[in-house]
Amino acid sequence: MNANTTYEEQELVHLLKQKDDQAFSYLYDNYAGALYGVIKQIVTDVESGNDVLQEVFVSIWRKIDSYDASKGRLFTWMLNIARNAAIDKTRSKGYQQNLRQQPLLDDDMMHAAVRPGIDDYGLKKVLFKLKDEQRMLIDLSYYQGFTHEQIAKALSIPLGTVKTRIRSALTQLRTLLS
Amino acid sequence: MNLKEYISSGIIESYVLGIATEAEREEFEAMCKQHPEVVQARNNFELSLENRLLQDAVPPPMQLKEKLQATFTNTDTATANYNEEVVETPVRRLSVWKIMAAASILLLAGTAFWAFSLNNKYREAQKANESLKQQLTQSSAALAEVQRASQTLQNPALKTATLQGTENAPGSFANIYWDTTSKDVYLLVNNMPKPATNKQYQLWALIEGKPIDLGVIDEKVWQQKLLIKMKNVPNAQAFAITLEREGGSPTPEGSMYVKGEL
Repeated sequence: MNANTTYEEQELVHLLKQKDDQAFSYLYDNYAGALYGVIKQIVTDVESGNDVLQEVFVSIWRKIDSYDASKGRLFTWMLNIARNAAIDKTRSKGYQQNLRQQPLLDDDMMHAAVRPGIDDYGLKKVLFKLKDEQRMLIDLSYYQGFTHEQIAKALSIPLGTVKTRIRSALTQLRTLLS
Repeated sequence: MNLKEYISSGIIESYVLGIATEAEREEFEAMCKQHPEVVQARNNFELSLENRLLQDAVPPPMQLKEKLQATFTNTDTATANYNEEVVETPVRRLSVWKIMAAASILLLAGTAFWAFSLNNKYREAQKANESLKQQLTQSSAALAEVQRASQTLQNPALKTATLQGTENAPGSFANIYWDTTSKDVYLLVNNMPKPATNKQYQLWALIEGKPIDLGVIDEKVWQQKLLIKMKNVPNAQAFAITLEREGGSPTPEGSMYVKGEL
């Protein structure tokens, strides 16, 4: 098949569900970079990032049957797999042992989203345009995988406040992305 | 609920980004089924997110793709090896590792088609591996003990005493090694009769005929005839072992079985 073949999403999904190797190769060629970019912003070391990317594509292959097009685009589905896998990796024993332990309640939390070289692209770049407080909440919930409850507890603010602030941050995000 | 309000509430972004709660997700999916406007808004956000991330893609290292493809093609060969090995006795060490290796490759490739039967066979291999690990641990412990014993015996500061059997136990025989620097006392039970169940041997150091308790002798360790570390003693002229009640006694009350001087 022509290397320049582009697939319509529906067609691509159909082929993937049939375990078509070329479709899968196409998927990797076109989307691995986007997923890798997000993964690297969560697991900062290269080796872990590579491991996660591999795990993610294996997961995609295995779970493609569970992808439901009525619930969203293929990329969104893959992105969530990648994000969850990356967050899980940061919580793994091996990763933790390599990392200096940082307590949840930390002054650094306010600057959690700001790390050199990691923030000047993708979603994180967009987050810079948010207020500090909003950026921190998005970082805690999206990039670090904490639930609203955990965030409320850690920051000693009411759960309702956390939800409201995240929602307003997200609404702004929408505007910033479009 | 006002549809417009719902759409601009941030729920869509929350859902797409995967940070909505389960309840919120269920509600959103229901809303999607009822209102095409919600689906449209969702789709728009998804596209803008996707485009941004595609734009800022970070190319992964070249070899990752090859590695990934290799993982998938290995599935067939790995399966063949795997089935073969499981039919033979899995207790041989090499087989177990082959099974484990094949199982790991398969787990990595993880095609759902094989997942179920694989899981059972993996558990079997895992059990075999566990028992081998246990044997290894026990052997290691025994080896460490022997090494420690030989180090002790080579120590120049070591003084030895041979404890000979008394009339109560003429064939009995034990050795004491006393480190004059560290004051550690080691006992080697060469030959002594097994005590009754409610009795234990106890070691004593003797200074000017006065006995000093160096501890009771652990039956299990004694049976293996390894060097047993007893209590330290700063000074000693002789050693003796008596048979006491279980748990020992502050002063020797039972019969003496072996005795010897430094």
